[in-house]
Amino acid sequence: MKRIYISFLLFICTGFSSKAQELFAFTEPASNMAARSLGLRLNSTIFKDKVLNYNSVHVLPEVMLGISKKVMIHLEGVISNQGGTVYILDGASVYAKYRFYSQDDIHSHFRIALFGQFAWNNAVVHQPAIDFKGHNTGYEIGIVSTKLANKIAISSSVSLLHAMNNSNSNTFIYGDKSRNAINYTLSVGKLLLPKEYVSYNQVNVNGMLEFLCQSNLYSGKTFIDMAPVIQFIIKSKIRFDLGYKYSVSNTLERSAPNGLLFRFEYNLFNVLK
Amino acid sequence: MKSKYWIVGILIFATLQLSAQISKVNLQASGLTCSMCSNAINKSLKSIPFVENVTANIKNSSFEITFRPNASIELDLIKKKVEDAGFFVAKFEVVLMVHSLAVSNDAHIDINGTMFHFLHTDNKLVEGETTFRVIDKGYVSAKEFRKNAVYTKMNCYKTGLMGSCCNTKIKSTGTRIYHVTI
Repeated sequence: MKRIYISFLLFICTGFSSKAQELFAFTEPASNMAARSLGLRLNSTIFKDKVLNYNSVHVLPEVMLGISKKVMIHLEGVISNQGGTVYILDGASVYAKYRFYSQDDIHSHFRIALFGQFAWNNAVVHQPAIDFKGHNTGYEIGIVSTKLANKIAISSSVSLLHAMNNSNSNTFIYGDKSRNAINYTLSVGKLLLPKEYVSYNQVNVNGMLEFLCQSNLYSGKTFIDMAPVIQFIIKSKIRFDLGYKYSVSNTLERSAPNGLLFRFEYNLFNVLK
Repeated sequence: MKSKYWIVGILIFATLQLSAQISKVNLQASGLTCSMCSNAINKSLKSIPFVENVTANIKNSSFEITFRPNASIELDLIKKKVEDAGFFVAKFEVVLMVHSLAVSNDAHIDINGTMFHFLHTDNKLVEGETTFRVIDKGYVSAKEFRKNAVYTKMNCYKTGLMGSCCNTKIKSTGTRIYHVTI
């Protein structure tokens, strides 16, 4: 089943002549931000924790740096209300992406990038699913490809994850063999507004649908999430995303699979030397 | 015999320092559709010291660039700034005011210190506002670059630099030479 799904994703990604917008909310596209530019993000997620019965809130301030036309990095902090009590800084991550292939044409491109992430977290490990957005210490390496054409974008990624023990003596308690997983994603996006561009001041509205999947390489347990997203881009430099992620298939346990994502992003072009 | 003198005459004339001024560059970028991407290019182009103004057409991914008076203009830096923003140049036109510019096909001309090599162009005398389209690698699609290779046997087309194929009495080997068509 897993193989069939991955084959399907690769088929979609390489053989399907699609059209789309690629600034996805739950995944990153193969494209990078502009060199010597800076992006500031404030991400927030609110998920209903069904085990402890509270709203698990994570606030993730993020800085993005365009190192060159092919390389960019993200630095992210994690602040959460562990157990619903106080907000504390309990994690951080660094993410890097290298765009190594780009086939561009007027109003279209096909790009492929390698990415890697290292995440640190000191919270209690409370689910076998691996999540580097505020739950686990570990690392991830993967490949993402994105096709953009006119008003439509389609993007797909495959990555390997390895969970380490969290800090604060919070061990990964689900067994050493269960520390490895594979993530695979499929995202499609469409520019809804404006119908025709005339100015940088026009508000852009993008609609997106993302599929986010993980399979544990030892247990074979899997989750598949679906996430519709609405995105607003203001003055061609400010971005606001609102997404809702929910589980459509879940054998790999998570305490809080369903919830909301808010993101505010501000881009500063050519500010780095 | 007469035609030989005519060609020699054109070449000698062409090697003279010509009175010509780049008034603007019109370029079209590839690989983008959204206004935030277009804005990234717009801001990147505006960061060039010799650029005075950039007027963007978001719908066509095109940019009209004007320059500061008497500035030394480096076309390669304009292309690099588009690539730094994460995209590529698909079309690059240089608009110049020229006075009695003798253009000769598959020959080199020094215009205000910048070397140009004309390809797929009729031998003619050019007067007034003229548009050169740069067809070097990275200034057109990879497919078009390969296609245009039939218009010259000179190796400088592949490298973009003056070499043994060029008249190095005008400029030394290794000097940047832009391949253009009218």
